Amino acid sequence: MLALKSWDINLRSREKKTLWSFLLLYAFLALLILAFVAILYYGLERDLMLQNQRETLSNLTNEQIARLKSLHVNFEKDHIYPRDERFNSAIYDSSLKQIFSTLSTQKVNLYEDIYLKKDRIYFIKELESYYLGARYIVLEVNAPPSWGKKVYRKLLLYGAIIFGILVVIGYFLLSLLLRPMKDTIALLDRFIKDTTHELNTPVNTILSNIEMIDLESLDEKLLKKIKRISIASKTISNLYDDLTYLVLSHQILSQDVTVDLNELIKERLEYFSLLFESKKIELTLTLEEGIYLSIDRTKMAKLIDNILSNAIKYNKIGGSIAISLHEHCIEIKDSGRGIEKSKINQVFERYSRFDRSVGGFGIGLSIVESIAKEYALHVKIDSLLEKGTTVEISW
Amino acid sequence: MVKRTLFLALFFASSLYARTGIYEKNCIPCHEDMAVKIDKFFYRYLLKYSSEMEVKKAMTKYLKSPKAENSILVDGLINRFGIKKKTTLSDEQLQEALDTYWDQYKIFDKLK
Repeated sequence: MLALKSWDINLRSREKKTLWSFLLLYAFLALLILAFVAILYYGLERDLMLQNQRETLSNLTNEQIARLKSLHVNFEKDHIYPRDERFNSAIYDSSLKQIFSTLSTQKVNLYEDIYLKKDRIYFIKELESYYLGARYIVLEVNAPPSWGKKVYRKLLLYGAIIFGILVVIGYFLLSLLLRPMKDTIALLDRFIKDTTHELNTPVNTILSNIEMIDLESLDEKLLKKIKRISIASKTISNLYDDLTYLVLSHQILSQDVTVDLNELIKERLEYFSLLFESKKIELTLTLEEGIYLSIDRTKMAKLIDNILSNAIKYNKIGGSIAISLHEHCIEIKDSGRGIEKSKINQVFERYSRFDRSVGGFGIGLSIVESIAKEYALHVKIDSLLEKGTTVEISW
Repeated sequence: MVKRTLFLALFFASSLYARTGIYEKNCIPCHEDMAVKIDKFFYRYLLKYSSEMEVKKAMTKYLKSPKAENSILVDGLINRFGIKKKTTLSDEQLQEALDTYWDQYKIFDKLK
């Protein structure tokens, strides 16, 4: 259940990326469809408004035509184009040449019947008798005030409601799509939890019994075998710690204390000494004294353990490891097989493993990352294939 | 004062008789004596044909082959005044005369 609750924390970055891409695409499509519907709706509303204006405009046009007629008859006496404060107007001859215009624009579409442009309605009528040579008359009036605002408000409101509904549907769709993935992760987590639980007791029994053996009384052959058993048990114990941390980390409260890093590194090296010995790894230490960090000791130990165990695990027999501690960083450099450049970004992902020749679950660096994140430590990995890997933790 | 009046009178007389253009020479003399003035014809054409091209086309058609059905006048006036004679002007001359006629009475630029 724990794993199910925290599935979002466990989701790997690539899956998160996929989810975001899906969500973005979904939102984009939803907006596209909404925009299409909005355009259609706007067109309908506009046509309706124009239809309502048509009769009034037609009457005004007839009034203007009557004035043009009167001007045509009396043209030798009067040259003043008839104006009206209710509208602007223009007349055009049959070759669409403008005869006179009081319009606010020069561009008029005479092929239309009625249309809206920049909050102004244009009404075009063809004259039966071409007074003053005018075949077309255009009337320009302002669109009813707040008409556009009303439509936009309506569109925004309905658009937002529909978009909201679509987002909710998208969310459910997403959880439906994610369910198999969540189930798989939950299953894996549950399995690890159960396995670790069953591992704890036997490993502790082995380790405590080895410690109880009086090593000095043993002959060399037996001592070697006991050491091997001890290494193997420590490896299992380490793995157990990792897995417990992984499954229960959300419940473990950090207890920050001032940790002497020099001392801690030496302690962890002591813990791994048998492993170093068995792989004949040459260790170079450059540890500065008096470097402290306020951190949960167990977590810091886990972080160092994981990097160290990787450096040993992926190292060759007779290889080397150099550890240096400076005021603001710890650097662990190994002569192992390295990681491909393209895969360096994925090493922190849970269950990702690039080298299956040695054991492991692929959770070590994922733990390193989560601890580093908690304490705002910066983890930098440089690696060259077949040359080795350098892990630098800085703060 | 007398000098000035005399000068003005001379000026008008000379402009009246100095009809140099084809339109002034060939159109004005007949139309001057008619009951319906020449501008009325223009506005009648404009009323029916609207654009410069259409008006000139219709006028050319009538002047080159005057018929009652081509005429812009209403039947009553045609019955009273009859049909004019066919033009003796060449196409170019006719065109020039019509251009002058159009320029003189066109609505463009006159409206205020």
